[in-house]
Amino acid sequence: MNADQLLAAEYALGLLEGEDLLAARARESADPAFARDVAEWQERLAPLADDIDPRMPREEVWQRIEAELGADSGNAQVVALRRSLRRWQWAGGLSAAAAIALAFLALPQLIGPAGETRPDPATERMARAPMTATMPIGGTPLNLDFTYLPDDRSLLVGAVGLEADGVHDHEIWFVPPEGELVSLGVVTPGEVVAHSVPESVARTLHDGSQLLLTREPLGGKPEDSAAGPVVAEAEFATI
Amino acid sequence: MRRSTSQAREMLKAAMRRLAAGDRSALEEVYRATSAKLFGICYRILGDEKEAEDALQDVYLTLWRRADRYDPERASPISWLATFARNRAIDRLRAGKVRLAAVPEDQAGPVPDDRPLAEAMMIDSEREARVHTCLETLDETPREAIRTAFFDGRTYAELAERMDVPLGTMKSWIRRGLAKLKGCMEMGE
Repeated sequence: MNADQLLAAEYALGLLEGEDLLAARARESADPAFARDVAEWQERLAPLADDIDPRMPREEVWQRIEAELGADSGNAQVVALRRSLRRWQWAGGLSAAAAIALAFLALPQLIGPAGETRPDPATERMARAPMTATMPIGGTPLNLDFTYLPDDRSLLVGAVGLEADGVHDHEIWFVPPEGELVSLGVVTPGEVVAHSVPESVARTLHDGSQLLLTREPLGGKPEDSAAGPVVAEAEFATI
Repeated sequence: MRRSTSQAREMLKAAMRRLAAGDRSALEEVYRATSAKLFGICYRILGDEKEAEDALQDVYLTLWRRADRYDPERASPISWLATFARNRAIDRLRAGKVRLAAVPEDQAGPVPDDRPLAEAMMIDSEREARVHTCLETLDETPREAIRTAFFDGRTYAELAERMDVPLGTMKSWIRRGLAKLKGCMEMGE
């Protein structure tokens, strides 16, 4: 076995820790050949799990799962929408999160063309249909996914796969046809969270409306200072 | 494979497909069929009822949110789920939230009363997989080290400490063992 194949085996078996583990996770998310080797080892080893006795979990565990699902998904419409969009990108594995946390920190600083928005007057009315926007996170295979649900004026922000770096938050801004940017809150890494949308935004949100993402201190932009650098952007499109 | 076993597997496969399509009732079906197996795995690795419950909850919630990651063409659902649960439990262990207290192998927890179902949820009910016989071809030391890594989620450093050998020695034992294991398994593939 060459060094890579060996690493795949060690990683699949769970022998690694610390930096070696982080490096292997990063490798798994970035290198499909390596990820395949890992999956192959996992599959080969999996039958060993038959030697472990099954054990009944307490009924309470299922109740907790159900409760969490209720809180998580809001209503059936949201779930259906989320599923039908299928925009999530999983970056090759659950354990890729650590690697992505690093990449998220190292986002290239894009320049937001904030002055260029030209709302078409014909579409400048309260959106009736759900709209989505996908915001690629530079340097990673991940996206932030936005779904606007006009009926309950909420914006689902999907940041699955991303992890907090502990020192920054990322704030979402709506770019209105004129006037100041409107904050729609900060991203919750690793989750799908519904943000409520102010009525002023709902009135002007349309196909082509722009969102920006800025990097801020924890908690979002402080009252008395300017917004941080724009690190990503996206445009809404009607589904 | 007995008929009831293959039927149970087909039902699980179908439930996993419905899950991927966003059918929430499918999650309960998958949970009822597989939670004892996956809880056994989490408990074995984490060695603590409470931690294993948290891990199990995390496994099924993640499964719901990311059901589309499962590819029915590639792996049997129970094999995939078992790997998924083991990885999540090990992630918890490595994240340092859990004190190390793996359960001794002979300590059997409460087992499900629904025996046929438990059997249907075997990854390899006929024990045909090469890994069983191939492990037996290894010398005792690397074999035990690899088994302990698999069942208790131990790292190189922990294994070295446990067997009271230098880290480098443990690494070379296991690496040689893994190379031999791979060679043996590939002969049968």
